[in-house]
Amino acid sequence: MANLHGYAGRILYVDLGAETAHEEPIDGELAEAFLGGSGLAAALIARTRLSEIDPLGPENPLVLMTGPLVGTEMPSAGRLSLCALSPLTGIWGESNTGGFLGPELRFSGYDGIVVTGRASEPVWLSIVDGNVELRDAESLMGLDTYETQEAIRQELGDDKTRVGCIGRAGEHLVRYAAVMNDHGRAAGRTGMGTVMGAKHLKAIAVRGRETVPIADLQGFARITAAVREHSREEIATQAIRMAGTAGYVDMATMYGDLPFRHFRTGEWDGADRLSGVRMTEEYLLRGRACHRCPIACGRETRAPVYGLDRVDGPEYETLGALGSLLAIDDLEAVIAAGHLCNRHGLDTISTGVTIALACELAERGILNRATADGLTLRFGDAVLLHGLIEKIAVREGIGDLLADGSAALADHFGVPELAATVKRLEMPMHDPRAFGGMAVTYALSPRGACHMQGDMYSVDTGQVALEELGIAPGDRFDASEGKGRIAARQMAWRSLYNAMILCQFQNPPAERIAEALGAATGWDLAPADLMTIGHRILTLKRTINAHRGVDASSDALPPTFLSPLEAGGTLGNVPDVDRLLAGAYGELGWNPRTGQPENPTLARLGLGRAAEPE
Amino acid sequence: MSFRFPSNEWIVELSRLLNESPSYESSAKDWEGDFVFVVEPDDGFAETAYLYLGLRHGKSTGGALLAAPDERPTEYRISAPFGVWRKVIEGELDPIQGMMMRKLKLDGNLMKIMRYPKAAKEIVSCCADVPTMWPGN
Repeated sequence: MANLHGYAGRILYVDLGAETAHEEPIDGELAEAFLGGSGLAAALIARTRLSEIDPLGPENPLVLMTGPLVGTEMPSAGRLSLCALSPLTGIWGESNTGGFLGPELRFSGYDGIVVTGRASEPVWLSIVDGNVELRDAESLMGLDTYETQEAIRQELGDDKTRVGCIGRAGEHLVRYAAVMNDHGRAAGRTGMGTVMGAKHLKAIAVRGRETVPIADLQGFARITAAVREHSREEIATQAIRMAGTAGYVDMATMYGDLPFRHFRTGEWDGADRLSGVRMTEEYLLRGRACHRCPIACGRETRAPVYGLDRVDGPEYETLGALGSLLAIDDLEAVIAAGHLCNRHGLDTISTGVTIALACELAERGILNRATADGLTLRFGDAVLLHGLIEKIAVREGIGDLLADGSAALADHFGVPELAATVKRLEMPMHDPRAFGGMAVTYALSPRGACHMQGDMYSVDTGQVALEELGIAPGDRFDASEGKGRIAARQMAWRSLYNAMILCQFQNPPAERIAEALGAATGWDLAPADLMTIGHRILTLKRTINAHRGVDASSDALPPTFLSPLEAGGTLGNVPDVDRLLAGAYGELGWNPRTGQPENPTLARLGLGRAAEPE
Repeated sequence: MSFRFPSNEWIVELSRLLNESPSYESSAKDWEGDFVFVVEPDDGFAETAYLYLGLRHGKSTGGALLAAPDERPTEYRISAPFGVWRKVIEGELDPIQGMMMRKLKLDGNLMKIMRYPKAAKEIVSCCADVPTMWPGN
């Protein structure tokens, strides 16, 4: 595959049950159609017998995939996608992580890894300069994610080795376990760490020295320089560089985007104390960057009250999920809670939302102290939060119940309507009452309630504007079919991002991205072609989910978000989901009655074959 | 009575309205930092105008039309063509959206201003309350 520019050219297949590994050349046609990341992973997973897969079973393929821009000079493209059927939701699962793990995989000579089977004993996968080896992980079991990364680097005797691993949460099959790498970087959502735990795969370590072949090196250098320059001038990236994603807290509070007390109240005095600017001024040690990223959104902070001199994060989602959502305004306590989740390998969003639901259930008298191990579950209690995180990570007592997520918790008590989930994935910290377009993203996202599949809050705050592609900022409360169409286009655009893989904080003009991809791969691409690729990927994931029982009736928001808040930045607004979805289905060419892609849409996107399992 | 934009009378009226606004006062209670708004020429307005607005601890210390941008020291400068300012004042363009899209150019300490988005919103809200007469009308 020497002629396939932009790709290492090989995918590694590892069967943990058979203890075998082999490599296959990357399919050039498939790469051109789905690029990489979660797009190419979807194309590979779509070939399996989707309806018969148990997400915790050995047959669930875990695909780690990079993209054509990963590990190149393209700014902010140091990412890696992890995809499988989700043990939390039962449908399509994906999460992507920053740091250096993705680039290092490319330097080791592989674009991706497909892991199948289940090891009879715990193992970790070593990929060093093309040598693939399964190693005994018995001594690593029970170690947290930081300890695991360090132990593996020591065993290999190379501190440049990049390690993706699970912590205790993954080992105990907490359904929203994360995969952690480069200290506190996380592939957090949809339980990809749980899939690793179910496969008895504690870690994947990668080290390599190859480079990614670029079709037009000079052109690529010129384009990436222009992207860096654009990034420097963007006020949104300047703000993220200064205060991390946490810098959005004050703005989110004004818009009513940051949720309080399990999404139930519109105002809360404590938000001011969780301000990212305050965090920067009082607790920040330094910003940290992923591979070739000029933004450096990562944070290194301290929490002296908890004896923490240097920890990773928190970012905006964690400040919300472990802070405002639980009415905890002690910033150091939230930093410590985020660090606990990182150590154990827990998705901070699902952790926080599930604990918040438990607090609401206790407030309503549904969950009593006896069930809660004698604990009084209540909002605003940081000590309780830290204790519950520990219990969840090892499924101890009430932690066992919480470890299955919000939807399962609500089902357990016979109140499914109280779960803040879509398709059983917990809502992130962006309220669809604050940005109507987010209702479309949450309802139609292939992985359930997910803000990374179409960030309409970025569009309607002006942070992302691609007017040439029909993605124009507008009124955030607009709930017209037109807004639904814009949201659908943004979903297609972000599907492309999650395939390239490019960080969503890097937003050059579409033309520049087309040029960068073209220079890397040698393909002749225009912005409209990119939208078609994104649309294709989004639609393929939809067909995967159709095999898992998703239809139009699944495309609904929980009742909480259809009730207006009496105060705060959402001004009593509730999105008109039906009208928004009518526009979105129309834009995507999906049948509004069934929710499934129409045949002409599948044909136009070339999905006739790819959408059918082999 | 209407006030022509941009003019000394218009910015003085904005200053007065801010001092009557409890929402602005509470959202900017710790704020310290004066602004100059630069109105750049375009099809709707042929000159450049500099509007000074003093702001301290939830109150406006005064407004004035300046002859030059550095006539008074200010911590922030926001520049945009006349037509963009008109859209902001008439509520057609969210000022944060405008800044993100580089329609309004901000010079000054970004970190500090990020702490006060609600105050910015209240200022715009008061702008909309100034009875405004536009050039050519």
